[in-house]
Amino acid sequence: MSKIFLLSKIMMKNAGSAWGNKKGSGWKSALLLLAIGIGVLPLMLVGVMFMAGLYDGLALIGQEGALLGLGVALVSLAIFVLGIVYVLSVFYYSQDVEHMLPLPLAPWQILGAKFLVALFYEYLTSFLLFAPLLVTYGVKSGGGVLYYLFALLVYLVVPIFPLVLSALVVMLFMRFTSVGKSKDRFRLIGGLLAIVAAVGFQAVIQRQTSGRMDNIEQMQQMIVNGDNVLLNLVTQLFPASKLAALALIGSDSWSGLGYLASFLLVAAVSVVVFFFAGNRLYFRGVMGISEAMAKRKKVDESAFQKLVRPRSALMAYGLKEWRILWRTPAYLMNCTLSSVLLPVIALIPILSRQDSGEMLASLSARLQGDEAGGISLAVAFAAFLAVAGANSTSVTAITRDGQGFFLNKSLPIPYAKILIAKLMPGIILSVVSMLLLLAEGGWLLQLSPVFVVYCLLIGIPGIIFINLFGIMVDLHLPKLSWSSEQEAVKQNLNPLFTLLASALAGGLAIAGAFVMGASMTVVAVGLFALFAILDLILYRILVTKGPVWMEKIEA
Amino acid sequence: MIELTGVTKSYNNTIKAVDNVSLTIPKGEIFGFLGPNGAGKTTTIKMITGIIRPNAGQIKINGKDIATETLAAKRQFGYVPDSPDMFLRLKGLEYVSFMADIYEVPQKVRNERILQLAQRFDMTNALGDTIQSYSHGMRQKIMIMGVLVHHPEVWILDEPLTGLDPKSSYTLKEMMREHADSGRTVFFSTHVLEVAEKLCDRVAIINKGQILFCGTFAEMQQHFQSNNSLESLFLELTKHE
Repeated sequence: MSKIFLLSKIMMKNAGSAWGNKKGSGWKSALLLLAIGIGVLPLMLVGVMFMAGLYDGLALIGQEGALLGLGVALVSLAIFVLGIVYVLSVFYYSQDVEHMLPLPLAPWQILGAKFLVALFYEYLTSFLLFAPLLVTYGVKSGGGVLYYLFALLVYLVVPIFPLVLSALVVMLFMRFTSVGKSKDRFRLIGGLLAIVAAVGFQAVIQRQTSGRMDNIEQMQQMIVNGDNVLLNLVTQLFPASKLAALALIGSDSWSGLGYLASFLLVAAVSVVVFFFAGNRLYFRGVMGISEAMAKRKKVDESAFQKLVRPRSALMAYGLKEWRILWRTPAYLMNCTLSSVLLPVIALIPILSRQDSGEMLASLSARLQGDEAGGISLAVAFAAFLAVAGANSTSVTAITRDGQGFFLNKSLPIPYAKILIAKLMPGIILSVVSMLLLLAEGGWLLQLSPVFVVYCLLIGIPGIIFINLFGIMVDLHLPKLSWSSEQEAVKQNLNPLFTLLASALAGGLAIAGAFVMGASMTVVAVGLFALFAILDLILYRILVTKGPVWMEKIEA
Repeated sequence: MIELTGVTKSYNNTIKAVDNVSLTIPKGEIFGFLGPNGAGKTTTIKMITGIIRPNAGQIKINGKDIATETLAAKRQFGYVPDSPDMFLRLKGLEYVSFMADIYEVPQKVRNERILQLAQRFDMTNALGDTIQSYSHGMRQKIMIMGVLVHHPEVWILDEPLTGLDPKSSYTLKEMMREHADSGRTVFFSTHVLEVAEKLCDRVAIINKGQILFCGTFAEMQQHFQSNNSLESLFLELTKHE
């Protein structure tokens, strides 16, 4: 047991902090904390207000306990979904596995340590919503010391069962895809299928619930009646969540203690199952995880000539970035494919509504109308910024190089050129997202040609702005000491900055168009001029200051 | 030719990783850079190659100052880092071709050189595979090929022989000799003292950031008035006080 703690401590230290190097100056950390605060606090606040409102409504009919039941079930679902990502990166894609395998450790010790690390990440995430829920309920219901004690225990134990479930899913998947030589490709296809399944599932749920989740009263009604597909499914998937809720509700009685004990028992049993299955599945899936396919055949003449064709240094560098982005599964999922998937996923809530037809028709009519044209354009602009901000290609451009970054400095090309080459893939990918969104708009909303032209006119400077901003963030807070590519893009908080910047810029654009009541042409010209100038300024900073910042990044 | 004058690098203004080092490596010479782990070898190499900036001192490569004529200086050398685990998702040929583009090697020359290097290092059948599928030694070889494809005047190699099989190691040593004999410079760090003793025209021994000795092996024996091997002299020099 002590070895498990020792191992998990080492793994955690090895993974390092989620941003930058530890020696980072104070103001950078402060800035990051501020960004997290700006991003997270309103979310938590809205959450607390929503929960308090729900509580009051439910308390009127004496059903306030349903809030806890629903909360624990939804948190379990969120943990399950995130758990799949965490388990993949901690169990499989973190390089330390290969160092642990030769050590005289029992498989369950390595598994246990990895489980603890993933669990730790889950605690951090559930802190955002679950902790406020427990506290809100406690305050509202006037819970005593025992309630908070129970709540703490529940908080610590709730993630265990869903995490075991996601570990089982991932371990099964990795075990049975660990076949043949093209494992990477096989797994990628499997992963994509999973995304399609998840999206499809979501679409079905949306269709079922659309129109019913629009306000608090309807939601209370739904919780009380228990006639919702989503809720039923979640509670069926995580039956133990009911026990946790009952334990908390009865924290002042013996029955509460009984529920708590049975809840703990379920978690304990799930851990046993995890070890039992893990012993059988984990090592068969993880061994040879870093092996790659090799043909060891002479490259034929025509392919050879194609590969060695000379290019300018800038193009060669850009191409290198592009190839690595597409060939590394972690980058493919987080950077390249997301630029295609995001616009597609954005469609689902619209298309899956039962009343989508009429909604789109009325929207389309209103959009083309003269008075709303300016605002519609600003909204489109905000959408382009949002997909560009959600794409982490540019904001991880430096980080993705890892320790190989330092080799850049020995190459005889100006740093500014490297930075521009690193900027290209992100801009291309965001433009692809924008074109997809426009195509969707053209199809669903019959956008006028003028509107589309205006969109392109303002969208491109907006996208360039976000990408320039992203690479500057990464220049200041690069995280180069990762041990797996997954870590470089997933356990990295820098993308938060571009997300915030895009939300801010998009929000300001909409607000501006609204306040001024400007026409479409004015909005188009205004946004184009503003962002073209901003781009020019940022670009000048990047090519003059960027190299200085790059110089400062030392091992 | 590599010239270091009074080069110092300290971290946090306290620990001096490299302390006032001056070295001159003329053309036509293989120069071995020796020292125990953590002595400052890699730090020195990183300063020569422009990866980190010294706090004080000047570094010139073929007369070009790395701090002021950066690009011109970088075009003079080819650098093989100590860890070859880079560009793993690229195919061997894509990597070498990338380096050729960066150093602007013309098409005709590059084709010939790549094929010739691949043959010498026995890599012809691996060029079409990703570097990830390579063994440590093969990764080392592809990194060396990426450097040699642009025919640099000065070679700077950090532990180049680690992980190479006997044949590739022999080939590389042979190539280093040829390169130096054609009037150019080879600078490399190593822990393998037998190699240094046999291959190097001169060696420098660094410990705790300071150069303890710089000269030929014969000079070293003379200096210590002993016929001992380089190994025992090295141990003598770097022993802990």
